[in-house]
Amino acid sequence: MTENTNIPAPLLEVKDLQVEFNTSAGNVKAVRDATFNVYPGQWVAIVGESGSGKSTSAMAALGLLPGTGHITGGSIKLEGEEISHYTPKQFEAIRGLKMGLVPQDPMSNLNPVYRIDAQIKESLIANNIDITREQRIALAEGLELTAAERAAKENVHDADDELFLGSAQREELLAAAKEAGKEIVSEEDMKFWEETWTPGSVTRWNVRHDMIQAGISDPKATEIAAKYVTGSTMADRIAGLLDEAGLPDAAMRARQYPHEYSGGMRQRALIAMGLAARPRLLIADEPTSALDVTVQKRILDHLHTLTDSLGTAVLFITHDLGLAAERAQHIVVMYKGQIVESGPSLDVLQHPQHPYTKRLVSAAPSLASKRMESTKERAEVHTKQAEAGHPENVNDTIISVKNLVREFKVPGRKELFKAVDDVSFDVKRGTTLAIVGESGSGKSTVANMVLHLLDPTKGTVTYEGQDIHSFDAKQLLDFRRHVQPVFQNPYGSLDPTYTIFRSIEEPLRIHKIGDAKSREARVRELLDMVEMPQSVMGRYPNELSGGQRQRIAVARAMALNPDVIVADEAVSALDVLVQDQVLHLLNDLQAERGLTYLFITHDLAVVRQIADEVVVMQHGKLVEHATTDEVFNNPQTQYTRDLLDAIPGGKLELGLDM
Amino acid sequence: MWKYFLRRVLQMIPVVLGTTLLIYALVFALPGDPVVAMFGDKPVNPTIAAQIRAEYHLDQPFIIQYLYFLKNAFTLDFGNTLRGGRPVIDVMAAAFPVTIKLGLMAFVFEGIFGVIFGIVSGLKKGKWYDSVILIVSLLLISVPTFVTGFLMQYFLGVKWRIFPVTAGANPGFIDLLMPAMVLGSASMAYIIRLTRTEVASNRTLDYVRTARAKGLSNRKVITNHILRNSLIPVITYLGADLGALMGGAMISERIFNINGIGNTLYKGILQGESNLVVSIVTVLVLIFVVCNLLVDMLYAVLDPRIRYE
Repeated sequence: MTENTNIPAPLLEVKDLQVEFNTSAGNVKAVRDATFNVYPGQWVAIVGESGSGKSTSAMAALGLLPGTGHITGGSIKLEGEEISHYTPKQFEAIRGLKMGLVPQDPMSNLNPVYRIDAQIKESLIANNIDITREQRIALAEGLELTAAERAAKENVHDADDELFLGSAQREELLAAAKEAGKEIVSEEDMKFWEETWTPGSVTRWNVRHDMIQAGISDPKATEIAAKYVTGSTMADRIAGLLDEAGLPDAAMRARQYPHEYSGGMRQRALIAMGLAARPRLLIADEPTSALDVTVQKRILDHLHTLTDSLGTAVLFITHDLGLAAERAQHIVVMYKGQIVESGPSLDVLQHPQHPYTKRLVSAAPSLASKRMESTKERAEVHTKQAEAGHPENVNDTIISVKNLVREFKVPGRKELFKAVDDVSFDVKRGTTLAIVGESGSGKSTVANMVLHLLDPTKGTVTYEGQDIHSFDAKQLLDFRRHVQPVFQNPYGSLDPTYTIFRSIEEPLRIHKIGDAKSREARVRELLDMVEMPQSVMGRYPNELSGGQRQRIAVARAMALNPDVIVADEAVSALDVLVQDQVLHLLNDLQAERGLTYLFITHDLAVVRQIADEVVVMQHGKLVEHATTDEVFNNPQTQYTRDLLDAIPGGKLELGLDM
Repeated sequence: MWKYFLRRVLQMIPVVLGTTLLIYALVFALPGDPVVAMFGDKPVNPTIAAQIRAEYHLDQPFIIQYLYFLKNAFTLDFGNTLRGGRPVIDVMAAAFPVTIKLGLMAFVFEGIFGVIFGIVSGLKKGKWYDSVILIVSLLLISVPTFVTGFLMQYFLGVKWRIFPVTAGANPGFIDLLMPAMVLGSASMAYIIRLTRTEVASNRTLDYVRTARAKGLSNRKVITNHILRNSLIPVITYLGADLGALMGGAMISERIFNINGIGNTLYKGILQGESNLVVSIVTVLVLIFVVCNLLVDMLYAVLDPRIRYE
């Protein structure tokens, strides 16, 4: 790069950073020679799987390395100043004010015993923020104003232009503005004022600008704005911050406790907190990975608009390459503590250089545009069978769900809560049906009823034409042999006190299949099937990684040669690459053995890779049921369209050369 | 909240009835005839004995006696002691203030020192003073109170003469200081360990990191986030312990010869004063149950996630 005075200095400059953790097994290098820059106002994404060092790098910049973590080399510069050797006291001075954090898990990052407003107030007070006026970053002012406006503003030149509107003056201001705008200003503009003039968020300058835009003369608008916009109170400012983060009814909600918030609302509160002191740099550590895709999209959209208008730079940490490419201008890919690739987002996505990045690109479900090959092959086999005159093998229904209803009692409420409301669908033999929906849509409740783990309030589930809820004990045991579950959490679904061998062998023993010798042979066969070495038989679940455990869970489900596997979010907890491997495994098994899958997921991107048919659920109701191609190409309901829109990176054009 | 409170108050009734019935039955089953004991060395006069039995309903079956006791207890009439014929209420009125004073002193002692040492230990886990605090607290938990009591009495009282060896008839603050320390020592050790564990585990929680990321000073993070949340279980333990201190004062009161409720109860049991024993235990049960109720209500105030239906 040639010397160019127009290129601004980086806001955050990380060079050859090394971070180590002391463990009983010796020192572990979590970050090795990481180098990257974040420029003012820029979104930079660090992408990598868990344990790649992406969060550790960011925490090193904040001076918040966990446990025994410490910087052993390299430098971190914030606005040109070396901060890697800062004392805790020095870090206190820059945290919040210069660098903000939006943490990963909204459930655990708010103190449960304080109201939301108290937790935001802390941030404002700790950083000595003047709550009566906006602390605009110079860059944002430069971006927001046109040259003429800037000149005009300099003429007025009044620091009070950044004063916030107070809730006490809002009604008077609206009345005065409407009075002044009588017969000039349109109804819509007045309505716009009512909706957007939020106390503690909108400034004198904004108000004046809005009035002039609506047709009120400059002097009049300036006079009204100066008279009524005179600064906000603490409560106003807190509500204003929450409102900016997209929280509805912010003034009322601010008085609530975290447990009264949903996950998405908590994340918005955390965003409000992270931005409260108007930091130059916001570190967003997987800020939405715990949320539903649609909520994730809304929150990130909002964060984007907000940071753009404030001129805040964002260091965005994520494991999802599609999401990174969609949101950030620059991507840094980390693998095993090292940066393996770095460059403009589309470049990295379209021309990945490092083998790891190539794998990430090809594995990212959000970027895959087609179903897996094995699925396709299987479909072709089916088609051929159909042509050859064996239609019963193709359209034969194995599981049928009819008018299923499930109600739950909600403590403190009289009426029952309908978790599942009149859901019907058929699952065809040898195919995959995916049930998609956000959390709370009732999809897992349906899965539990299909597995006979929960009784329906009304309706029936039939397996091979028989109502499974009328089974006696013997029939039920037989049913369990044919319909096997794989659950979401690979950490919780294996007994930690059982060896891998015992976990896989257990279903065989329960169903009294074979003798000790043949069972052991079967376990070895199953481990081969899920591509795990036979040496893991004597090990315990805690010695395996998440992906390996999920393979064991699949092997256990396969032990009895089932016809149907119900997979409840079976890959949601896994990193993209591992997720890709498990999905391939499931696909291959289906192709080989003609298995039927009922696949429960919130991730439409995964659905596209594995499912033949899709059922979309919302608030317990089935809103759409069609083949995967139809759902993706021609969604019938708005809800499905929202879900599709929310797939990160879904709209990125990819011309992969790999 | 009020509904819950009312329900809890109603639940207290069977608890109090059950415990008093149990105690009454135990005292009733004690060997020895209290009426005979009243005569002391004098020969027993059958007429007077029968008169006394009738007066105290001692000739009635057990359950009737118990019901008489309940009826009178409701009007705060606990009857008279068998020996000396003093009203039981007067005996209790003389003894309880002493024990309450002792219990409160022990309560303050264990609360202050338990929490302070626990915080220091929890914040500086692994430092030498953390180890010292841990070892001392382990000792205090494992050594029985009477051993701690006698040791302190011997060294601090007899040998070094720092504190009075025993408390007199009307013990003051200084007289009760050592007994209160003995009484509160085991609980203090427990509070140290509880606080230490809570502080150490809360320190690494996500919201504490978030608080630091907001730019809060270390002191603010510790007081507003780590301590505020760590002390919830400690405070509830302290509340429940207040009742236990009153009832558990017997050993300390015996060692230091304090005329509190524990000592009175002890003497009452030895002399077969069934009225006195049952009355004291009834009041202790009431104190205990009320303390527990207060703790549960306090819990809802401290932790907003707890809401009572």
